[in-house]
Amino acid sequence: MNISYNWLNEIVDSGLDPQQVADQLTRVGLAVEGVHPHGDDFVLDIDLTSNRPDCLSHRGIGRELSAVLDNAMIDREVSAVPSSDAGLVEIEDADLCNRFTARVIRNVKVGPSPQWLVDRLEAIGERSINNVADITNYVMHELGQPMHAFDLDKLSGGRIVVRRARSGEKIQTLDEVERVLDTDMLTICDAESPVAIGGVMGGLESSITDATVNVLLEVAYFDRGNIRATSRKLNLATEASYRFERGTDVLNLVRASERAADLIRELAGGEKAEFVDIFAVPFVPRSFLSNDIAGAVKRLTGLSVDRTECIRILNALGIGSSQNEDGSLTFTAPSWRHDIAIEEDLVEEIARHAGYEKIAEELPPAFGAGEYQPTERRERRLRARLADLGCVEALSYSFIDERHDGVFEIVPGIIGNSTTEPYVTLRDSVIEGALRMRPSILPGLLDSVRTNLNHKRRDLKLFEIGKVFSTGEGEEGLPNEQKLLTIVMTGSESLSDRAKPGNQVEFFDIKGGLEAALDAVGCYEAVYRTANVKHLRIGQAAAVSVGEVEIGHLGRLDDELAAGYKFKQPVYVAEINLTTVLKLPTANAAYKPLPRFPSVVRDVSFIVDRTFAFDSIRTAITEQANDLCRKVSFVDNFEGKDGDRSLTIRLEYRSDERTLVEEEVEAVHASLLKGVEQKLQIRPQM
Amino acid sequence: MSEIDRQVDEIREAFEQEFGRFADLSTDVSALAEAEARLRELSELKIRHTGKKSPISGAMKLIGKVAPEDRAAFGQMVQAVEKGIAAKIEEAETKLSAFISNAKIESERLDVTIPGRRIREGHLHPITILRQKIEDIFVSMGYAIEDDREIETDYYNFDALNIPEGHPARESQDTFYTTEGFALRSQTSTVQIRAMERRGVPLRILAPGRVFRRDTPDMTHTPMFHQIEGLCVDKGITMAHLKGTVSEWLRLLFGPETVTRFRPSYFPFTEPSAEFDFSCFKCGGTGIFDGERCRPCKGSGWIELGGSGMVHPNVLRACGVDPAVYSGFAFGFGLERMTALMYSIDDIRHMFENDVRFLEQFR
Ligand SMILES: [Zn+2]
Repeated sequence: MNISYNWLNEIVDSGLDPQQVADQLTRVGLAVEGVHPHGDDFVLDIDLTSNRPDCLSHRGIGRELSAVLDNAMIDREVSAVPSSDAGLVEIEDADLCNRFTARVIRNVKVGPSPQWLVDRLEAIGERSINNVADITNYVMHELGQPMHAFDLDKLSGGRIVVRRARSGEKIQTLDEVERVLDTDMLTICDAESPVAIGGVMGGLESSITDATVNVLLEVAYFDRGNIRATSRKLNLATEASYRFERGTDVLNLVRASERAADLIRELAGGEKAEFVDIFAVPFVPRSFLSNDIAGAVKRLTGLSVDRTECIRILNALGIGSSQNEDGSLTFTAPSWRHDIAIEEDLVEEIARHAGYEKIAEELPPAFGAGEYQPTERRERRLRARLADLGCVEALSYSFIDERHDGVFEIVPGIIGNSTTEPYVTLRDSVIEGALRMRPSILPGLLDSVRTNLNHKRRDLKLFEIGKVFSTGEGEEGLPNEQKLLTIVMTGSESLSDRAKPGNQVEFFDIKGGLEAALDAVGCYEAVYRTANVKHLRIGQAAAVSVGEVEIGHLGRLDDELAAGYKFKQPVYVAEINLTTVLKLPTANAAYKPLPRFPSVVRDVSFIVDRTFAFDSIRTAITEQANDLCRKVSFVDNFEGKDGDRSLTIRLEYRSDERTLVEEEVEAVHASLLKGVEQKLQIRPQM
Repeated sequence: MSEIDRQVDEIREAFEQEFGRFADLSTDVSALAEAEARLRELSELKIRHTGKKSPISGAMKLIGKVAPEDRAAFGQMVQAVEKGIAAKIEEAETKLSAFISNAKIESERLDVTIPGRRIREGHLHPITILRQKIEDIFVSMGYAIEDDREIETDYYNFDALNIPEGHPARESQDTFYTTEGFALRSQTSTVQIRAMERRGVPLRILAPGRVFRRDTPDMTHTPMFHQIEGLCVDKGITMAHLKGTVSEWLRLLFGPETVTRFRPSYFPFTEPSAEFDFSCFKCGGTGIFDGERCRPCKGSGWIELGGSGMVHPNVLRACGVDPAVYSGFAFGFGLERMTALMYSIDDIRHMFENDVRFLEQFR
């Protein structure tokens, strides 16, 4: 919003230079973003908040400045006596048009504007059209009231009807676009058809031209919500609709009309003729009680502003006050302030004029210990652990492309059983195709892998912790939101600052990463089993569970899918339902007395095929529940050429009562291996 | 010279001759391997020329042939020769050993300026780093960290925040909607409502989280970003507490000289409302850094950070809190903007592209 310094000085004689004016306005919340010289004038660029449409004019800004300086505005006397010619205007739909004034000015001469007017408009960034159009624009910027001038002779029947549009009615607006109206839109019509879309834009047909002789000047007040709705529906926002939808001053119409009519008479000749003012819905000012305004200021801001000064500030801003018998005050919001309705609103007015800089800095009284989110400590450990493992934390958009639908297997616990449509979908997006609220983080991370590969970064470990979504069955049908942990690894293990790559990342690297990550959040009991997972390569995919609870999966990205991403190197992924994991009980570490006697270890190898599971040997041994066998662990896996492999495991024997003797260990060891052989039909290699 | 003396002298000469090439080691011992060979030879020589079976030790047996009155002198002479031999050998040994140990150390000398060997470390996202720092500050100030839904009903995203239907902020087309009619929260203020409903008052909470607005991505906008919202409701809370709290955490984050400034503003859910700025952490509020216009504050000395105010009585009422008894302040700001300012990031879209060349810069 541009304000001319010279123009403003005609409204408030501030005695301040432009920068001082800017500082004063900024201080009370009318943020001046810049002061720019323009000829012998200065232009103040003001960033207004949406609650202050009353400041969308020089008079509005002047009112604030006058309150700041305690210096009255220079107002012109206004007196327009309505004529009796009531037939000129008829309001059919007063619910959308509370008040309508029409002024006829006869025998005008439309032509160029004088230089001062052209300059003024130019200073605030407006273009001159002709004297009549410029005057309506000028008065709007001066007084904040939009208005419209018709060529009276083009109005059929020479009169105005204010009504809702009839179904299918059309109008060609000033911008030469034909617009189809609906029955919710308010129109200004002549005896036959719409000549303007009320408060939004006038029609081309009835507009002022060089040939216009008689002018009808419309200055009216429209329903804010209706103007907003019409403007949205027609996708037509104008300076007028901008002001009307935020709220204008219903008591400012006559002043604005008179100002414009006087200027037209002055600059375009002609004489003022009929004036009609139909105030269909009387204005009822908003009044409310305040028992102790100074106390309210103190209570909310801590500022001590005495009652007299409170009232002075409010009155200066046009807010009326009257004292009641009990000493309380009744305040009345002025017609131009749509944002003043309660005592707290008054407190803000007083505080900003008293000065926010005067408010002290204090800390609230002590309250108690702060607390993190219950899962935050474990999540921090998780992030730190992954970073220590060389993983870089990513953050991706929560919305992803629809083309990912059905491509990725969603981790357990995200999608409910009964839903037919599992995905949460947006009505529209600002990124093409990104209409799905992600049910998986993988699409985002795989896009990131591609981005990095394109930049020749081939050795990558990324992770993301974030929410995913599915349609909900819960409270009010709101979608399910759960947190996932997703890890992606590809390329080689890299040492820092080394050109030579390390080993290629493989399945057991991402598994190790996931194991370490789960350990970090206190989940030590995860079980991995062979599984078929939609987006993972068969034979290199595992489902992860804890006890009875499935928590996710990991493995190598399916070949076809990888080819779709143009990945030329294997990519390993893991996705885990972190919400589920963080709900699992965690046990504190339990101390076990240190061994008093040495243990004996025995390594043993088995030749097994590729489908065999190491876990089955461990189970076969542990379920024999031998007291002396304390631990079964993995030692080595040697891949042979013919599809077989040699799997080496280690058994650890120990007693708490004595040092074991060789023969005793041999006997137990042989018995355990016998059990394995019987159960799994595999024979230890000697 | 007697025959016996001659014999002793021969022994000494024989030694001298054999020892000759060890006499001046510095001239011909260069390589480590050669030095080690010499040391072995020297130890063989030592075995031959010292000890019980050495010629000089044997010479002592000749004492019987010496006249009794000369025996003492003879004995001393032989001992002197024997000592001389041992001393020379020992000296040579010491020299050689020192040379060898020096040579060994030299041969294993390292270039200690070469970087250490370790797994390439990962990095946390700058948003996470900043969020954790700010959470730490507020937990230390007695706040509880809260989070809640990212997809909300209109009630929590708008109505309860005093943004009724028809309000410009609601119809600004900023909000994403799901086909089921739910809103992606457009501000973390939704958590204010959820937290007050859940915890009641008094309370002090800090709510970091993702929010969504229908902005087409450009240098300074992304349709998703992170906000942090603070809320303190209690009896007797004033704007002075708001100013004190915001100033305090900004000082804790940016240093004790940081100054905070509040300007009147408008938000539907606060009354009175204020925007807050803080003195630029780079130029210290002077607007000039290294003789040039300071970048983060664009030369103004101030950085605009966020919005704040006293919780609107309608918001308190929506949460069942009596505004006549309780008052509270709330403040909020964007993490991406703050991160971008702190690190002079020119394009905010980098935050969600996950380019490791970007992410690796933060620690
Ligand atoms: Zn600066």
